[in-house]
Amino acid sequence: MSPTRLCVPGDKLCSVEDCILGTGVYLRHGYIYSSLAGYVLKKNEGEQLPVISVVRETEVQLLPDVGAIVTCKVTSINSRFAKVHILYVGSTPLKDLFRGTIRKEDVRATEKDKVEMHRSFRPGDIVLAKVISLGDVQSNYLLTTAENELGVVVAHSDAARAQMVPISWCEMQCPQTHTKEFRKVARVQPEYLEA
Amino acid sequence: MSTTGGMFAVLKEKVGQVLVPGDEFCFGAEETISLSESAKPERAVCGPGLRRSGDRLVVMKSGVLRHKPPLTFWIDSQQKRYVATKGETVIGIVTARAGDTFRVDFGGSELASLSYLAFEGATKRNRPNVQVGDLVFAQFLIANKDMEPELVCIDGSGRANGMGAFGAGGLLIKVSLGLVRRLLAPNSDIRLDLEQLFPCELVVGMNGRVWVRASSVQQTLIVANLLQSCDTMTTQQRQQLFRRVQQGAL
Repeated sequence: MSPTRLCVPGDKLCSVEDCILGTGVYLRHGYIYSSLAGYVLKKNEGEQLPVISVVRETEVQLLPDVGAIVTCKVTSINSRFAKVHILYVGSTPLKDLFRGTIRKEDVRATEKDKVEMHRSFRPGDIVLAKVISLGDVQSNYLLTTAENELGVVVAHSDAARAQMVPISWCEMQCPQTHTKEFRKVARVQPEYLEA
Repeated sequence: MSTTGGMFAVLKEKVGQVLVPGDEFCFGAEETISLSESAKPERAVCGPGLRRSGDRLVVMKSGVLRHKPPLTFWIDSQQKRYVATKGETVIGIVTARAGDTFRVDFGGSELASLSYLAFEGATKRNRPNVQVGDLVFAQFLIANKDMEPELVCIDGSGRANGMGAFGAGGLLIKVSLGLVRRLLAPNSDIRLDLEQLFPCELVVGMNGRVWVRASSVQQTLIVANLLQSCDTMTTQQRQQLFRRVQQGAL
């Protein structure tokens, strides 16, 4: 349904006899008021009255949920955790910026206390991770890479800035300088391997 | 990295010459391969200042090319700005206390952290006797461009090994990194010359900081000034200067 008009919280939209309440609206003294700032949507549902609702965006936003595989980019590392920006949920790009944290003990499944963050991730790496918790209001999404298929997929080498090639689960090699760097590498899916 | 005999010979030829960033040594510079010589690939090890890029060897820093037989080549360059590297021992100044760690200034872009427990015999109850403003001789545990550097005053086995807080009396001076490397070399000329002058205590940090203490304030100042001027002198000039000081002091 195409949006009709914009509204702000407190706008009187219509009378309760004309429409049924949807999301983002409330009923007061027999009239329907908006409680969000956004577009007014009126949906016709057959013989019943149309449903009126106010939405922020015309398309529904996909949010990272617990257990979803997300693609993120590492922004900074610390000896205790790595901070990331979540870019894609599954294969859908996100419009807003979501931040995530990968703790040191969530990087690998084995030998969790011997993990060195500098040998697992570097700023600028693209990482496949899984959401384990949504976190509180202030804290970010908590992510994990403790599986074979999760970890660094794209990384650039220190010196030459060329894209590196994975050679094992913990090493990547630069094609120009042939130096090896340590990362927690995600297992390549069989369909992308050349036989 | 393997190379044909040609490039190795070119490299050896240039040892002792001044090179600038952008100079390259190419593989396969020869068009014809000699059939009489065996085409045995030789290897060369790139040290600081040299980097392999595809099939070329590229110079990254300006300086003199040095060679250590059999295989190692590197660029000897002058530098004053210190970049933290894992395993190097440096002299740091304690600037603040933050929770369970000290914030230490070692002359780099960031302050390094030094934990209370990273001293010999330190436990949670037994705090080390280090105040803000003290000098510490420590080595890097974590030092890379992505994370905050971390210092420790113990080695792998838990012993101090000469590291820790120090600095009652004495003078801290800043010198170039080249002089520090010459002072720390196994049979250092400068150190031998200094030994003949006055008895003194020297702590040399690889971040370009040297701490000197001699038996009197005047002697300490003399040694400090000598070290700073040694930087840009040739061996003969330096020995002349030391001789003059020795005669003047007596």
